[in-house]
Amino acid sequence: MKVCISSTGTTLDSNVDPRFGRCAFFIIYNTDSDTFEYYENESRNTMGGAGIQAAQKALENKVDAVISGSIGPNAFKVFQSSQIKIYTGVSGSIRSAIAQLKNNELTQTAAPNVQSHYGMGR
Amino acid sequence: MIISVASGKGGTGKTTVAVALAKSISYCQFIDYDVEAPNADLFLKPDIKHINNITIKQPYFLTGLGKSFKACSDFCHYNAVAAIDNKVIFFSELCHGCGGCILVGPEGSVRERDIKIGEIRKGFCPPGINFLMGDLQPGSMRTTAIQNELEKNIDHDNHVIIDCPPGNSCSMVMAVRSSDFCILVTEPTPFGLNDLIISIDVLKNLKIPFGVIVNRFGIGNDEVFKYCRSNNIKILLKIPNDIEIAKYYSQGLSLIDFDSLWKNKFVCIIDEIEKEVSVK
Amino acid sequence: MKQVTIISGKGGTGKTTLASSFIKLAAKQIAVDCDVDAANLYILLNPSRKKTEKFIGGAKAEVTGTCIKCGKCEELCRFEAISDSQDNIKIDKLKCESCGVCEYVCPTNAIKLKPEEQGEFYVSDTEICPFVHARLDPGAENSGLLVTRVRNIAEDLAYANNKDLIIIDGAPGIGCSVIASLNGVDYTIIVTEPTLSGISDFKKIFEVTKFFNIKSFVCINKFDINLKNTGDIEKFCSENNVEVLGKIPYDEKVPENLSYKKIIIDDQSSKAGGEIIKIWDKLKSYLYS
Repeated sequence: MKVCISSTGTTLDSNVDPRFGRCAFFIIYNTDSDTFEYYENESRNTMGGAGIQAAQKALENKVDAVISGSIGPNAFKVFQSSQIKIYTGVSGSIRSAIAQLKNNELTQTAAPNVQSHYGMGR
Repeated sequence: MIISVASGKGGTGKTTVAVALAKSISYCQFIDYDVEAPNADLFLKPDIKHINNITIKQPYFLTGLGKSFKACSDFCHYNAVAAIDNKVIFFSELCHGCGGCILVGPEGSVRERDIKIGEIRKGFCPPGINFLMGDLQPGSMRTTAIQNELEKNIDHDNHVIIDCPPGNSCSMVMAVRSSDFCILVTEPTPFGLNDLIISIDVLKNLKIPFGVIVNRFGIGNDEVFKYCRSNNIKILLKIPNDIEIAKYYSQGLSLIDFDSLWKNKFVCIIDEIEKEVSVK
Repeated sequence: MKQVTIISGKGGTGKTTLASSFIKLAAKQIAVDCDVDAANLYILLNPSRKKTEKFIGGAKAEVTGTCIKCGKCEELCRFEAISDSQDNIKIDKLKCESCGVCEYVCPTNAIKLKPEEQGEFYVSDTEICPFVHARLDPGAENSGLLVTRVRNIAEDLAYANNKDLIIIDGAPGIGCSVIASLNGVDYTIIVTEPTLSGISDFKKIFEVTKFFNIKSFVCINKFDINLKNTGDIEKFCSENNVEVLGKIPYDEKVPENLSYKKIIIDDQSSKAGGEIIKIWDKLKSYLYS
């Protein structure tokens, strides 16, 4: 299984970034091979739609799950268009987040847990 | 002649001055360019005759035919389109209506509809003020698009008074750039001076001549006056700090309503500006 | 971590007076000035800059190659930013929305979107707390982008230093930079005054907070200059379920302290300062709950 995690840094000792759309890095972790790659979040400084871009990019990477501190409604909407698992409210190191995921200690989130940083609209 | 009334700091008295100028000369066009927070209508009380909706075109996507809209998502500079597989999620509040997705998307599959972003209102205040204002819809960010509509309606054959938005960024530049002269309104406090200096920079870059009106004279300190003196900047008028003026203002009454003696002072300012502008 | 933005719609109602007071009273937060084109909070916080970075703003269209005067860009630009494309092409940068359509349709790749340096942003120390602020070049565009940048840095700082609060001084108006300063925050404080213009602008900014689904509180500044209007604001607030945190009296001590660059709550003889302290006590119960 491939999982996308918002991260403050580029290693497994980095922390889960509390923000999804405007986090510093994304780590894509493969739980089958226990390998990972990372990329910088290029959309964090765009004025609007950072979460939308980030979510789309995660889906393009064919991830099966996403882990973050919080995911806004826009990114949530994008994730919901495909059937991936969403885990929010996660903190601590990336390593411990992966361990919790493997041990089935994380609970799936059904609704966005923060306000949009941009544009919920009516 | 077009005179704009601007101020880096908000709430220093732009509308007070602009309205007093218009009421003093009686015959002019008045344009409220502060489309995010327009207030001049509360003082001039125009009889609004026309309301034009300002709209932009936004896309909708015909997704039933199994086509991919990935190109639209990739193109959109505002992140307003997410395309996953053959699905599209569109975020209206992010869309500026550039039409790019129609150009790059599958032919015939991206259509458009009108979305309102604000209004332009035209009216009249006796004896001879042609009133024009823009009003941005809350939630929209298209300030300059509304201002662009105002710009098309400037009456270049008449005296025009422009009430500008606060600040020193693009929306202020849009408002002052058509003018022959700009009156900068400030207050004698460190905040007022700080923002005045930035506004002066903007006007110097645009090569628009300007003068200063100091409002709430009596509060704060004399740094604004020192600055103007040492930089050879003309102070056109001082309006005293007077709680009675503030009370009049709070009810939508102008400086001229407060005391008609102000009328002469503003007529003199216009004469003075006209002389300066005609020399250049 | 909580974030609160102080806004007003109308300028000059007392945003920075309140923001500086809250910052002084809270003491353990990150302070942010999002009024980037007329920044004033730094005057009261007296910062010493630790880090300065250039702000590269939104990319505007520019002719960099050989234009064959085909007129396509002018025809397709929805923002009327391009004129005379069949003669001597002109691009109005104020109208350009950086959409990239002209760049896309140009057959000779003569038009490019070029990002420009449009200001600076700073991370500073003050006697009270860390402070993130910025300076937009006079007349420049895209202050919303700069505001986003400033807020990202403030959030990074807050997470890195375990701060539980960010206090943001907003800009007047309801447009791009204001929206960038309030979206995603936990609360907004709307500072209004009992003037017809204050009320009109208050209602517009209140609509914006509703649009973005943010809980607001209201402070009525100089409430005693027009008691009828103050009553109208209170009525509007109760009808719309918005709590009025306090009513601040007209007080000549406010500009007086300002002229000495002093924060109003430090003047114990100021009635306005006293009321602001009471407002903070009420706000605190929401921020630290």
